[in-house]
Amino acid sequence: MGLTSQRLLAVAALLAVWQLVIWSGSLPSMTPGVPAIVTAIANAFTSALFWTSLAQTMTAAVTGWVIAVTAGTVLGLVIGSVPMLDRSTSILIDFGRSFPVLALMPVVIMLLGATAQMEIFVVSLSCLWPVLVQTIYGARRMDASVVDTARTFQIPRLLWFRRILLPSATPFISTGIRISASIAILVSVGVEVLSQTPGIGRQITLAQQAQRWDQAFAYLFFAGLVGWGIAGLLNLAEGKILKWNRQAND
Amino acid sequence: MAVQAAPEQEQVATAPLLQVQGLTMSYGFGDAENKILNNLNLEVNDGEFVSIVGPSGVGKTTLLRVLSGLIRPKSGTVSVGGEAISGPHRDLAVVFQDYSRSLMPWMTTLENVAFPLQGRGVGKKERNEAAAKNLAAVGLGGQGHKYPWEMSGGMQQRVAIARALAYNAKVLLMDEPFASVDAQTRFDLEDLVIDLQSNLGVTIILVTHDIDEALYLADKVIVLAEKPATVVDVIETGFGDHRDQVETKADPRFAEARARILHRLRSH
Repeated sequence: MGLTSQRLLAVAALLAVWQLVIWSGSLPSMTPGVPAIVTAIANAFTSALFWTSLAQTMTAAVTGWVIAVTAGTVLGLVIGSVPMLDRSTSILIDFGRSFPVLALMPVVIMLLGATAQMEIFVVSLSCLWPVLVQTIYGARRMDASVVDTARTFQIPRLLWFRRILLPSATPFISTGIRISASIAILVSVGVEVLSQTPGIGRQITLAQQAQRWDQAFAYLFFAGLVGWGIAGLLNLAEGKILKWNRQAND
Repeated sequence: MAVQAAPEQEQVATAPLLQVQGLTMSYGFGDAENKILNNLNLEVNDGEFVSIVGPSGVGKTTLLRVLSGLIRPKSGTVSVGGEAISGPHRDLAVVFQDYSRSLMPWMTTLENVAFPLQGRGVGKKERNEAAAKNLAAVGLGGQGHKYPWEMSGGMQQRVAIARALAYNAKVLLMDEPFASVDAQTRFDLEDLVIDLQSNLGVTIILVTHDIDEALYLADKVIVLAEKPATVVDVIETGFGDHRDQVETKADPRFAEARARILHRLRSH
């Protein structure tokens, strides 16, 4: 049996278990069954509101994520390559990464309101840490022979940053980018659920309040699908960009 | 004005290209001070091939790092073209022992060779041409699109040599460049370096623990020994431009010089 059919079978098994649990009556009666959810998913495709919400969520998630990746990479390379900076900032960074950013939301809402800007801010603050921490690790790990080589050939600082430090840290940075991509979707939907900022998360809450559980599950499904799609794309890009890393470490 | 410049030029031509005077190097301070190099003096003339030979751990790599400007000596000077250096220098290019890590795995071999030229602001077309030319000179013509990890160890070290050549420095510093390749590859690389040196007229300083290699390659062998290390002997090999792995090594002068170096190293 091929891998694809094995995977399809796993999905089918999950759906069957779901439907069996519904039939057994052990879940509250409003829980939608598989046919209801499938219909709701199909309906979502033709709903303008759905596409608008999805676009709002994606815009906030991607914008916040791109800001975090850019800031985290640049900051991380600078911090990781200057030992003095690395030592002096390590406490701040350890504190920042352990800080529950969602708990900061009430304050941010007070400052910015329940707006897309607020959402982008919370997303980028949540995504910053994995990128920053990974990039610092990557920059620290610079090979001594590479450093010597760059020094003897008097490579200018900016070129060294772009063509040596950045690519040498890329295997680590890309892990941070991948982790933060799933965080971006998670946080953006979460912020919308909690603060009623327009987007998929808000639609999930609205559907729940209207007792439209089939719709709520359909939106949840799409939130998961988007996260999965992004992870797949990133894996593909990483395979291309980091071909040298796999080969060189064989 | 032009007339006045003439006597000055004459003076420069007679001075050695690279000169080391009173070089002392140590790590640590006070009681923990570990002296590595002691009052070391040496001279390398333009176009000369000089080997620096000494037992493992004598401080050869430290010496090469001082010569290349990577570390500063405690006292004494390294001068190139009559001018004391204070760090990495335009006229010095280094080939490291660890070729597999001194080449950037994210760059093709052509990019690796062209990269130091990019650092100097040479335009893309010009630096790629220079890189291709030097890759061809080390026997890797048309292989610039490959990545270092697609090549054997010997080929990677050729790339590192091409990179140093493309930099167009007056002096090539080589730190045990053939220590991590197999014997046959080592002979090939030795002969390559001899050919390059006589064709391009570049000055080479090669550090090795291998007495035969030091003798076979060089016009002048500098013997390092003692602790802290100092120059205990300087031997002019006198083999001329033509060298052959079998013939040269069978030359009576080769055996005589070899015995002299061994004796020097044993008595310390």
